[in-house]
Amino acid sequence: MVPLSWYLIFAAALFSIGLFGVLSRRNAVAILLGIELMLNSVNINLAAFWRYGDVRMMAGQVFAIIVFAVAAAEVAVGLALVISVYRRRNTVIADDINMMKW
Amino acid sequence: MTTETLIWLIPLPPVLAFFLIVLFTNRSKTLSHTVGVGAAILSFVGSMVVFFRAVGEEHFAEHPFTSAVNWLPTGAGWFKIGVLVDPLGAMVLFFVSITIFMIFLYSVGYHNYGQPEGDHDHKGLPPHGATIEHDGHKHVVPSVEPMYSRFFAFLALFAFGMYVLVVSDNLLTMFVGWEIMGLCSYLLIGFWYGKPSAHNAAVKAFMTTRIGDVFMLLGISYLYSVTGTLTFREIFTEETLHMLAEHTTFFGMTVSGFIALLLFIGTVGKSAQWPLHVWLPDAMEGPTPVSAMIHAATMVSAGVYAVIRMFPLLTADMHGHGLPTTMAIVAFIGAFTALFAATIAVAQNDIKRVLAYSTISQLGFMIAALGIGAYVAAAFHLVTHAFFKALLFLGSGSVIHGMEHGVLHTRNHDVDPQDMYNMGGLKNKMPITFWTFLIGGFALSGFPLITAGFWSKDEILADAFAHEHWAVFITLAVAAFLTAFYTMRQITLTFLGDARTEEAKHAHETPWTMTTPLVILSFFAVTFGWVGIPEHFPVLGPLFHKNWFHDFVGHTLAEVPKAPEFSWVPLLTSLVVALGGLGLGYLVYRNVKSVSEDKLQIPLLKNKYYFDEAYDFLFVKPAYWFAENIVYKFMDQGVIDGILHIFGPSTGGIGSLIRDKFDLPVINRFFGDGSAEVTYWFGGKLRAIQTGRIQQYLMLALVVFIAIGAVLFFVLA
Amino acid sequence: MDFIATHLLSTILFFPAIAALVIFFLPKDEANLHRWFALGASLVPFALSLYAWFNFRTIQPGYQFEEIYPWYTAIGSSLHLGVDGLSLSMVLLTTLLTPLAILASFSITDRTKAYMMLFLFLETGMLGVFMSIDLLVFFVFWEIGLVPMYFLINQWGSANRNYASLKFMIYTMGGSLGLLLAVQLLGVLFKTYDLQVITEQWATYTAAIGGVPASTFKTIAFWAFVIAFAVKVPLWPFHTWLPDAHTEAPTAGSMILAGVLLKLGAYGFLRLILPLYPEQAKAFAGALAFLAVAAIVFGAFASYAQTDFKRLVAYSSVNHMGFVVLGIAAAAFAVGTDDARIALNGAILQMFNHGLSAAGMFFLVGVIYERTHTRNLEEFGGLFPLVPVYGGILIFTSMASLGLPGLNGFISEFLVVRGSFGVGVNSVPVMAIYTAVAMLGLLFTGAYILKGIKKVLHGPLNEHWAHGEHKLTEINTREIIVMVPLMALILWIGLYPAWILDVINKAVVMLF
Repeated sequence: MVPLSWYLIFAAALFSIGLFGVLSRRNAVAILLGIELMLNSVNINLAAFWRYGDVRMMAGQVFAIIVFAVAAAEVAVGLALVISVYRRRNTVIADDINMMKW
Repeated sequence: MTTETLIWLIPLPPVLAFFLIVLFTNRSKTLSHTVGVGAAILSFVGSMVVFFRAVGEEHFAEHPFTSAVNWLPTGAGWFKIGVLVDPLGAMVLFFVSITIFMIFLYSVGYHNYGQPEGDHDHKGLPPHGATIEHDGHKHVVPSVEPMYSRFFAFLALFAFGMYVLVVSDNLLTMFVGWEIMGLCSYLLIGFWYGKPSAHNAAVKAFMTTRIGDVFMLLGISYLYSVTGTLTFREIFTEETLHMLAEHTTFFGMTVSGFIALLLFIGTVGKSAQWPLHVWLPDAMEGPTPVSAMIHAATMVSAGVYAVIRMFPLLTADMHGHGLPTTMAIVAFIGAFTALFAATIAVAQNDIKRVLAYSTISQLGFMIAALGIGAYVAAAFHLVTHAFFKALLFLGSGSVIHGMEHGVLHTRNHDVDPQDMYNMGGLKNKMPITFWTFLIGGFALSGFPLITAGFWSKDEILADAFAHEHWAVFITLAVAAFLTAFYTMRQITLTFLGDARTEEAKHAHETPWTMTTPLVILSFFAVTFGWVGIPEHFPVLGPLFHKNWFHDFVGHTLAEVPKAPEFSWVPLLTSLVVALGGLGLGYLVYRNVKSVSEDKLQIPLLKNKYYFDEAYDFLFVKPAYWFAENIVYKFMDQGVIDGILHIFGPSTGGIGSLIRDKFDLPVINRFFGDGSAEVTYWFGGKLRAIQTGRIQQYLMLALVVFIAIGAVLFFVLA
Repeated sequence: MDFIATHLLSTILFFPAIAALVIFFLPKDEANLHRWFALGASLVPFALSLYAWFNFRTIQPGYQFEEIYPWYTAIGSSLHLGVDGLSLSMVLLTTLLTPLAILASFSITDRTKAYMMLFLFLETGMLGVFMSIDLLVFFVFWEIGLVPMYFLINQWGSANRNYASLKFMIYTMGGSLGLLLAVQLLGVLFKTYDLQVITEQWATYTAAIGGVPASTFKTIAFWAFVIAFAVKVPLWPFHTWLPDAHTEAPTAGSMILAGVLLKLGAYGFLRLILPLYPEQAKAFAGALAFLAVAAIVFGAFASYAQTDFKRLVAYSSVNHMGFVVLGIAAAAFAVGTDDARIALNGAILQMFNHGLSAAGMFFLVGVIYERTHTRNLEEFGGLFPLVPVYGGILIFTSMASLGLPGLNGFISEFLVVRGSFGVGVNSVPVMAIYTAVAMLGLLFTGAYILKGIKKVLHGPLNEHWAHGEHKLTEINTREIIVMVPLMALILWIGLYPAWILDVINKAVVMLF
């Protein structure tokens, strides 16, 4: 059986890729993609801990499902915002959308 | 009706008349004077009934008419008031009721009843005459007094006061009557209130007498406090008087002497004795009947009457020959006033003022008589003086009235109808007035044997002589000489010789309502002296059998005073001063044509020794100055309100101090504004990191997360 | 009828307040309705107090018509009402003067509704002081009376009203702070505020409190009481609020101020100070007498110095109330003697008499002020021919104020003088001197009264008032109706004072 650490390493890698994407990409859609990656890396962790812990405790699985739901909702809202901004400002570059400051 | 009930009723008609006139009949002159004179007649009749019943009563002095009722509750007991008519009271009631009745009657004519309303008369000013058309040409005739009804109302109230005073059996109701008269004299002197001189005189009269009154009130309080009663018959018992005379009080005087002195000060004010005499001459501003009422019949007599009433108290501490302190003071003031006022009278030109000073002087005679213990003589002179002085005042009023006729005729209103130098030769124009005035004047001068004034004045002098009070005797003799002198001066200037002005030529005799009282009073001014002829007087004494007056009035006292031994010295003195004064007066003034020829117009006398000016300077002005500047402006508005006003600013000061030094800097600046400013500054510094770039935020979040994680990991682990 | 018979005092006390509440619901602009309603409402307590007067048993000691209701049981205070001869005469004075004052204010046109309500509340406040035999309730009513008076002066007064009303309010309240503390002290000590209980125990109280001996704090409490009442009387030198307040108040306000409010202070002296502090009162009677004489003399002098008619009358109140305190001080010296009783009789009668004559005088000043809009004596002169009836009434009332024998003022002043001089002669010589000095004040009473008459009525006619639009009109029927009861009582008491003095005398004999 594959040891738990492999899953954790994989998830950490995935999270780091996602984080890098979020911080480095200029396109808002790509940032959203990065966020999705980070969320899913968490799901991997949740599923792995469930499998390697007490199988009768369903909390890990349940939490993963909640994360799905949140991710889906977040993407829906995020994309809607991106499209809306694009319509008004004709851009999806995150650095250009900087009205929310002092 | 019992006599006691009748006495209770005597004062009532005048007071009812007063209310009737004031409330109902004041619009009708006829009704008003009917009510007034009617009331005077009722009281007169009542008084006469009482007087004659009193005279007819056996042992009347021991059992006088008296009755009393509860009036004031005082702690455990009651203060009773009541009426008392003893021989003295009956005598006073006799002359008071006659003079009052005469004065009422006289007022009808004096105020021109039946004449038309004046052309330009105003209420509050004397009438100026009315123009009437008669047979085609115009006449000016005297006009009726505009406040005719009011005059009778006041006069009635005055009469009420006097009757109350006379029939009272106690000092308190006597004082009530006394003060009511004070009010009425104020109202009557200031009757023509539109004239500033009149209302000033009224205020002066009221205030001057009030000085005496407050002392009298103290005396009454004192007497009441130590004896527990104010009823004469209870005070004048031997034990009470003995008790009062035994104890000493303030200034080392006996209690009785001190109380008598306090009461006497009241008399000094009321009877216009020096030094409170100043109001009386000014009181001549009132209409003439008022002058007669005030000076002769009532108010000033009331002062003397009060002292006569309190005579047992006055003499309670008298032992042997020497006079106790109070009596010496009384005698001194009386004698001094008699002389002092007589000297002023010789230099006065106003016909009424001469009489006013002569009144002061005559009252001085009575007071001096009381001071040396001559009880009956004082009472006798009080009665005779009331008759002849009322006569003289009414006579002078008649003269003035006649002169006013003349003034209306010539229409020269600059001529003063009261100045004797504007008169002269009125004997033929006004015969009734002249003869009655002459009788009055001779009575005042003490013309021997036939006039009343001779007998009463002689008795005072005889008493002073018999008891060896030389100073009083000589002073009064000199005063009597001056009296005769100025009386003759007055008669000469007014009636004899030729008319000195056009007005005097057109003077008229006055109507019957004015002359009838003159005739009646002159009857008494002559005959009343005969009831008091001393028993041992040569020829006349035995003729009249006994001295009725002395016998009757003397019994008022528990210990009947002895009549002085007959002596030729005072009798001759009386004769010499009276005849000498009259003769000299005639000789000097027979040929005087104008005021500049009068040698006696000495400024010091003319200006009444400058007493008015001195009092004004010493008392009136300082009092007002003190009231206004010290009491009101300095003390109340300055000091007291000043202190109060300090509270305002000082409270405000403390308030602003707290606000300025604590609330504003500490609470507001430091805590309130301070915290806001710090936050503001801090926010200002922090806002640089608020770039609006989402990735920077995330980066920052990551850094912070890592930092916190590192801290947690390295520090807490 | 049964209800009224058993609740007589509370009906008298609260009827005006209830009527005031009713006025609140009347339509706003119906001035006449407010006036007549208020007048009618104020006549009811008068009728009831007459009923009380005639059903009062003078020989029965203690309070009568007593009523007691729980009020503040936690601290032992109850609404305890009752009257004796002393307070009943004051109740009668209050209920008599209030309708007259309301009738006098028929000429008020501005906000009649509020005005009438305040007046009725004022009556309840004043009556409460005279009726309550509970110290705390006494104090409550004492302060309640201030509020309507403050607004009456402040809202309906003349030019300088803000200053005057503030001075009145602050001064009286400031004066009564000590009273409140002293009352609380008594309440804490005895667990009750009932006057009868406290009187019995306090006079003989000797235990120390917190190490302070009884005599010391009794003295302090005594002065706290004295100052509160002295401000109200007003006693010299606490009197300067009075001329201002009286002068600026509307006519009816001055009537009530002089007629009743001043009596509250004197009543306090009689009801509380003499029974509660007999020893202190005796010890400090000299000081009180001195202040009283100062009030008499300086009041008269200050009055004499005035050129404002109303201020002249106001200062005369200082002068007259001085006699009340002089009588009280004399009585304090010699409680139990006949001299003391006579002095107290005089003092209480003087309170009643001053209520009549001062109210009358203020009203008459108001009458002429309404017509001329000036109070300056120099602007009048010779008005007698224009207004003969008014002139007659003015002279009559002035003479009552002057203390002319035959009118009421004389009786009471004589009794006070007699009492205090009697105390002076028989026990404490200094009183004789004080009385003698007070005579100087009596003399100047004459001076200022005559000055008033002279400046208004006498002298050459001031033509300004004789013709045209300024023509002075005669006193009207309504105004005469206000004066008639006052004048009738003035004369009646002057001629036959026994009807009222008997009640007072019996109360005094039983109390002191």
